[in-house]
Amino acid sequence: MQDQDYILCECELQLLEAFVVTLETTVEVQLVKQPALCMTMIQAEDSVEFQPFYLGEALTTECELLVNGTRGIGICLGDEPVRAYCIAFIDAYSQLSDVPMQPVADFLSQQAAIIEHNAKIENDLILRTKVDFKLMEQD
Amino acid sequence: MGYVAVKGGTDAIHNSQQLVEFYRLKDATTPLDIKQIRTQLRMAVDKVMGEGGVYAPEYAAIALKQAEGEVFEAAFILRAFRATLQRKYYSEAINTREMFVRRKISASFREIPGGQILGPTRDYTQRILDTTKAFEDQEAIKKFLTDFKVPVNSDKLAEITTFAKVIDLLKNEGLLKPIDPDEDRTLKDITREAIKFPAPRSARLQMLARAETGGLMALGYASMRGFGSVHPTVGELRYGAVKVKVKDATGRSRYIGKIEVTEAETISAGKSAKKKSAPYYNIGYGLCFGQNDTKVICMGILDTAMRTPDVNSPANDQEFVLYHTEGIESMGFVNHLKLPHYVTFQSELKNIRGAVERSAEKPTEQAIQSPQLQSV
Repeated sequence: MQDQDYILCECELQLLEAFVVTLETTVEVQLVKQPALCMTMIQAEDSVEFQPFYLGEALTTECELLVNGTRGIGICLGDEPVRAYCIAFIDAYSQLSDVPMQPVADFLSQQAAIIEHNAKIENDLILRTKVDFKLMEQD
Repeated sequence: MGYVAVKGGTDAIHNSQQLVEFYRLKDATTPLDIKQIRTQLRMAVDKVMGEGGVYAPEYAAIALKQAEGEVFEAAFILRAFRATLQRKYYSEAINTREMFVRRKISASFREIPGGQILGPTRDYTQRILDTTKAFEDQEAIKKFLTDFKVPVNSDKLAEITTFAKVIDLLKNEGLLKPIDPDEDRTLKDITREAIKFPAPRSARLQMLARAETGGLMALGYASMRGFGSVHPTVGELRYGAVKVKVKDATGRSRYIGKIEVTEAETISAGKSAKKKSAPYYNIGYGLCFGQNDTKVICMGILDTAMRTPDVNSPANDQEFVLYHTEGIESMGFVNHLKLPHYVTFQSELKNIRGAVERSAEKPTEQAIQSPQLQSV
C-alpha cells in the first residue's frame, strides 16, 4: 500500500491519468466524494528528545469512490484533483479479485523505475557538492 | 489609543484596490506565470509557506504574485486561505532521519556521517551582482541545464541513502543535557488553543516554525551579541524532502506526498546548577517548511534560550520571543495604526491643547530663571 501510494503520488500525472482512463472502461465507477481540498496538520518531533509538535498544515486533496462496489480512497498533497481521483481509483481497483491485476503491477513497476532513476540523477547532482574542507595548516 | 469604527468609503476602497492592480499591470509586461514564481522565486515561496504555516507551493506562489512580492502580505493571504479549509488529517510524525538529503552540513565536526554536502547554497559566494541575469532567455536556461547534467553517468548512479544524525554522536557519548522529567511535554496546537505562558515546548516550537524569519534573526542575533547567553555551534543543518503519511478513513497508513523542510540542531554549552555536576551540552532544535537556514538556526538558538527563562534577556523570555516574532500578528498590529483613531486622538489633542494653554497662562520656573531662552 505504501509503495503503491508512493508511486502514484510521485509519478508523472499525465501517464497516471492515461493509465486510469484505460482501466475505467472495464469497471463501474461511482464517485462517493468529489476530489476536494482539505488540510493535513504535519506532526514533527525534535530529533534529540523526540518531543512532538505541529510544524504547520499542508494543502491536501482527497477523493473517495467505488469501483465495482469496492471503496477506494485517494489522498495526496497539493491541489491535485486528478491525481487524488486516480489514487482512489487504483486503491479500489487493486482490491478487486475479478479484474486483471497485471496491468497495474506493470504500471507501478515502470513508474517506480522512472521515479527511482530521476531521484538518483538528482542525488548524483547533489553529491557533487560534497566537500571536505581542509584546515589551513593542512596541505 | 484605540481606533474607531467608521463607515462609508466603499468606492474609494474599491478604487484603491483597482489602483493597486493598475500599478502592478500598467506597463503591460508579460504576466508572471505561477510555475515561474514557484521555481525561480523558490526561496520567497518557501518563506511564505513557512510564515503562513501552510505547505502549498503553488498557492504560496499565487499569494506572492497577488501581493506583488510582499512576503508578509503573501503569508497573511495564505494563512487566511488556510482558515477556509477543513483540517481532515493529522500526519504521522515526519522522520527527518529518512530525509532525501539535498544539503547537510555541520560546523561542529569536519567529518560527519555521509560527509558534508553543501547542496544548493549561496554560502561561500561573493554576492556579486550578476547582471547577465537581465538577459537570461530560454536558450540560456536550456544550455545551462544541458551542461550541468552532462557529466551524470546514468549507468553508475549511486544508491540513495539516508544518513545518521550528527547529534547522535554526542548523544551516544552521553554529553547532552539529561531530559528534564518535569518539563511539560503535552502536545498543544496553537492554531486551536490560544497560547498561555509558560507554554509547553510543543507550542513554542510550533510558533517558532511559523514565525517571521527576520524577527527570529533579530532575537537570535541579539542573544549571541550579549542580550542573552546562547551562542551555539551548528551541530547539523540539513535540507531535503521528507515523506508525509496519514491514516485514511479506514485506518490504513497512507503515503500522501513529500514536503521540503530545513532542520537544524544547535549546540551550546550548558550551565550546571550544581558546582560538581558533570558539564553537558544543550541542544536547540529548529525545523521549518522549505529551505531557510537562517530561520532554523535562530529557532535553535531561541529554543535553547527559552528553556532557561530569564526576564533580563529578551531571547529567554517566552512571551517576548513568541509574540514579537509572529509576523502576521505583528504586521497586523503595526498596520492598525493606520486605521482611523480620530476620536481618541481628538480627545488627547484637546487635553494637550488645554495643558499648553494652562502652561502659557503662568510663566514656568525655567522661563523665569532663563529669560534669554525666550528670545531665541
